[in-house]
Amino acid sequence: MEPIISTKGLKKIFRIGKVDVPALRGVDLRVQEGEFVAVVGPSGCGKSTLLHVLGGLTSPTEGHVLVDGNDFRGMSDADRTRFRRHKIGFVFQRYNLLPTLTARHNISIATHIQGNGFNPHRFQAVTSMLGITEKLEHRPYALSGGEQQRVAIARAVICEPKILLADEPTGNLDTENSQIVLDMMRELNRTFRQTILMITHNLEAAAVADRIIRMRDGRIISD
Amino acid sequence: MVNRMILANVLHRPIRTAVSVLAVAIEVGMVMLVVGLCHGLVNESAKRVEGVGADILVQPPQSSFLFGLSQAPMPMKVGERLEEIPHVLAVTPVLFVVNSVANLSVIYGVDMTSFDRVSGGFVYHAGGPFQAPYDILVDDVYAKANRVKVGQTLNLLSHEFRVAGIVEHGKGARLFIPLATAEDLQGVQDRASIFFVKCTDPAYGDDAAQAIHKLLPKHSVLPIKDYLSLMTSNNLPGLNYFISAMIAIAVAIGFLVIFLSMYTTITERTREIGILKSLGASKRYIIANILREATLLAAVGILAGYGGSLIARRAILAAFPTLSVELTWDWRFYAASLALIGSLLGAFYPALRAAQLDPVDALAYE
Repeated sequence: MEPIISTKGLKKIFRIGKVDVPALRGVDLRVQEGEFVAVVGPSGCGKSTLLHVLGGLTSPTEGHVLVDGNDFRGMSDADRTRFRRHKIGFVFQRYNLLPTLTARHNISIATHIQGNGFNPHRFQAVTSMLGITEKLEHRPYALSGGEQQRVAIARAVICEPKILLADEPTGNLDTENSQIVLDMMRELNRTFRQTILMITHNLEAAAVADRIIRMRDGRIISD
Repeated sequence: MVNRMILANVLHRPIRTAVSVLAVAIEVGMVMLVVGLCHGLVNESAKRVEGVGADILVQPPQSSFLFGLSQAPMPMKVGERLEEIPHVLAVTPVLFVVNSVANLSVIYGVDMTSFDRVSGGFVYHAGGPFQAPYDILVDDVYAKANRVKVGQTLNLLSHEFRVAGIVEHGKGARLFIPLATAEDLQGVQDRASIFFVKCTDPAYGDDAAQAIHKLLPKHSVLPIKDYLSLMTSNNLPGLNYFISAMIAIAVAIGFLVIFLSMYTTITERTREIGILKSLGASKRYIIANILREATLLAAVGILAGYGGSLIARRAILAAFPTLSVELTWDWRFYAASLALIGSLLGAFYPALRAAQLDPVDALAYE
């Protein structure tokens, strides 16, 4: 079976001033559809960059990247944006909700941007599963960190993306809320067979995944 | 959805929104009031000349259609020759005296008998015709603006004038003095700055004008309709430049404030733009959102500008009743268009900058 994510020799080099700073130094990775994968490693090991490349937020410098049949070679910025719109859902450490919108509108803006129309059944199913139906009319400042992250997860999956990319989703949460969020992600993975790639430096959080990949200095050191 | 987001953004920063709306309102109000004042004054002045009731204006050679600028009065005998022309019913001489005290105005030195024949006579609100050489008639607008009453004296042209009557406005000038007095003041005798010629029927106006032109080939002979077409801001020296300069300043204010407002908005919302990009928002989506927000600010500003200019017009007319402010639908449309275009242009660069933000950098923005 073809993997949903496949990278070979993936490199990403940032140019800072006149200095080339390699963030990814040749990453080979294969993730099957429906897998829940955790990527762990110390700060600066390149895990966030890997997530950004796989999500099409930035382009690879070298190597092959194939995500759900989309080869990133030769993809323009607009192509990657379109790809992201239809295939990827992001969850960030800092929730990244739009502060002026209610939880409901923070979720539905994703469907608006995708342009495939609002699906009330999907909305109901996702918000119920994440336990935020009572909080939908609240703005982010009126929600706890755990609630905000659950809204962010709902936003990320509302459009049924092929892959959910989570960047330290429990990094700003206390233990109790971290566990709730991790349980939700596990539930999403099981209920909707959602492919999840989660980045974390917390091994306890990583334990919830089917598979743990370790990174160091821009390379995968164990899988 | 987008409208809700834009509205939420606009309400989220009420001071910024208020300043942007105010700038657009000032822009719209400034354009409408400057144009309205200029056009109002020109049109009102033209209407007053039309209100004399003449069909043809005869002035000395190389005269200006701006009466205050006319020089070298004509001999009174010219009037006698004009009366002999076919289809001419009445001719009245007027000697202009420019009054530069307080504000610039042209006082008509009139011969009451012939002026009444051309104009149909004054309608008196109070008082009556001249009784003495230094009597003056003022129109009701002037009387109201300056709180003038019959019998009081006015110090004009270094002389004391007794107000003999207050007349209905719209017969050429706001102030009238006897022709002989005007001649005294100008130091001329049997001279007129202009002859107002009334025909037996307005339909004969062109024929009579041609005949007058034959008789006085070097003189300025203007049918009233030609005079009215000349009395536009386009033909008044410098007025068009003034209006254009004021419009340019107004548009620049709107443009710069919207530019600054949207620019700071983009900086402030860098992270939010990154979020939208991470959700797959295209450059066009980001640009459209920002331009729509600018359009909303401009639309509210335009409405505020309309309201503000109506209030300002009332205030101006209450303080200066002799002025005229014409707020036409044409200029409402132009002012709104200028404000909208200026706002969109002002928002375009910030929108472009937002669209080009790198999503990873934007998401990391503190």
